[in-house]
Amino acid sequence: MGNTIEVSHISKSFNGQSVVKNISFNIAPGEVFGLIGPNGAGKTTIIRMLLDIIKPDSGEIRILDTLLSEITKDRIGYLPEERGMYRRLTVMDTLVYLGALKNKHSKERALELLEKMEMISHKDKKISELSKGMAQKIQIIAAIIHDPEFIILDEPFSGLDPVNMKLVKDLILELGKEGKTILISTHMMDQVERMCNRIFMIYRGTGVLYGSIGEIKSRYGKNTIFLEFEGELKNIHGVKKINYSGNYAELILEADTDTQDVLKTVAGCVRVNKFEISAPSLNEIFIQVVEGT
Amino acid sequence: MKKWSTIAKHEYIYNIHRKEFLFVTFGLPLFIFMIGGLPILLMSSSISHEEYRIGYVDKIGLFDSGNFTKYANEELAKKDLFENKITHFFVIPANYTATGEIDIFSAKTRSPESTAIEDQIKSFLLDNLLKGERREIVERAKNPISSEYFTLNEKGGSSKEGISTILIPIAFAMLFMLSIYTSSNFLLQGVVEEKENRVMEILLSSVSHKELLTGKVFGLGAVGLTQILIWQIIGIALLSSNPIVSAIVLDKVHVSIPILVLASIYFILGYFVFASIMAGVGAVATTSREGQQLAGIFSITGAIPLIISEFIITNPNAILPRALSYFPLTSPVTMIMRLSLTEVPLYEIVISILILAASTYIILELSVRIFKASLLVYGKKPTISELIKYVREG
Repeated sequence: MGNTIEVSHISKSFNGQSVVKNISFNIAPGEVFGLIGPNGAGKTTIIRMLLDIIKPDSGEIRILDTLLSEITKDRIGYLPEERGMYRRLTVMDTLVYLGALKNKHSKERALELLEKMEMISHKDKKISELSKGMAQKIQIIAAIIHDPEFIILDEPFSGLDPVNMKLVKDLILELGKEGKTILISTHMMDQVERMCNRIFMIYRGTGVLYGSIGEIKSRYGKNTIFLEFEGELKNIHGVKKINYSGNYAELILEADTDTQDVLKTVAGCVRVNKFEISAPSLNEIFIQVVEGT
Repeated sequence: MKKWSTIAKHEYIYNIHRKEFLFVTFGLPLFIFMIGGLPILLMSSSISHEEYRIGYVDKIGLFDSGNFTKYANEELAKKDLFENKITHFFVIPANYTATGEIDIFSAKTRSPESTAIEDQIKSFLLDNLLKGERREIVERAKNPISSEYFTLNEKGGSSKEGISTILIPIAFAMLFMLSIYTSSNFLLQGVVEEKENRVMEILLSSVSHKELLTGKVFGLGAVGLTQILIWQIIGIALLSSNPIVSAIVLDKVHVSIPILVLASIYFILGYFVFASIMAGVGAVATTSREGQQLAGIFSITGAIPLIISEFIITNPNAILPRALSYFPLTSPVTMIMRLSLTEVPLYEIVISILILAASTYIILELSVRIFKASLLVYGKKPTISELIKYVREG
């Protein structure tokens, strides 16, 4: 069996402005794949082309071993980035209708998924009566109501509280275990870091990184220190850059710096709670790539 | 089940639950009933003789009392009027036969039923003036003409004329336009709403652009037909509840089966033309307000036959009405008006239906292309030159 998705050399421009430039990537069956990049990089445009909502100017897309047709649409689930639903319909009616559009209407599966997402008590409510997070969970259910083989989730975590974020993550991992192929598009790179097998990183319409997360990270070496501390960090010799986030910091080292020297310097000025030598985060790799281009 | 029929079913159920639909469908008959039907009902229910007790003073000495109370002079009549023994009295002056003058007195100000009073007095006067004539002659004098007009044409045929010649085409045209406007407006709103709330993307990840629009056009067409059906049922129910009014209306309205069949064909095709246009407009518009404005251009064009209905009624075979019968936006209304007014040559009917049918297909196809094209420039209104380019490419 070939790849679930084969994107070869697609380009798209709007009004002469190039939005996607000569992009190619593959997604293997059963893979959880991350399409990452900052806002406006062209992720949603790529997804719309995958779904044949818009056509690429050049290049070819093969999905589930064929060029996309109306029949293959039934095997794909899609959560769009911008959420919206029929406000006057009830949760159950919405799910049944959207399921029917995929040629599959199973009330049992709708109920089962509502149960799993802790939404069963809201099944007869109108969409307009739901909170934003609740509506988003309903949309995620709608995307998988027809038990698709390939699932596209555009920014699945935006606007979710930590409890719901965990629910959605667990659901994605479970779908992955069931052997579904999943494409997660997001600008929250730390979210996909722990979930995806491989990623494709896009910046201003151009692919900048592509491969398994482990392989990408090893390419950038173990030149990073994750630090949890109390106090105030000063300039440290041999450290190229510090990314602060509260009591945490990501220290990017110069090429020939000894991590033990850094530890000594740091221990001299702040109280160290955690010190970890690691590969850089995807965020940092992304920033390095972008600054390098 | 085909996907477009799933969409059609959804659109139908979703839209007949709209407040606007219920308002127009049930509010309109109520409104028409209030302004038109109520006075007729009141009139027919007030034709009863017991309510009026009429007296008279005869200064000629020629008139027998009949149902009325005769008074020797006005003072006596006035006294009874104020004591409420009679509701009206009238005075026949000595020179009545020369002048025809009659003074009618009442304790209340002139009321709508004064015609009914006059009718009774007239009947009384005629009964007396034609004393000795045969009963038939008296009755004929009271109601000398019951007219019907016929238009003769060169072939020697004739067609009946009556109030229906104006009533039917105008009423049909109004209902037709109203129903088409409401349902195609829902379609427009629906498309724009789905674009605004991005349900469109979910739908398009499941069905093709064409299936989506076709489903919508059919679903909302069924909404329009439902509306007309409800109006008919209400109309029939109202008529059958009041035999007097229904007799008046049925007597004045002549509906022929061929016209009814043609009207249905024109209604359905006309609806498809407007619905397909509204789908295209919805695809181009980014907000419902913008959509309404754009749609207004087409709606007004469609209303031209109504605006110039007086001209069409008086000159049904002039060049302008004939031209309008070929133009797809105006042909349904114009043709129905003309068909009920005059004999339209068969070839004109055939050509206009063919044009209409072809345009529904072409316009739907164009709308699908525009729809696809305007999705390319998400959130932005395409310019006219861009649209033309997309339509050609599509």
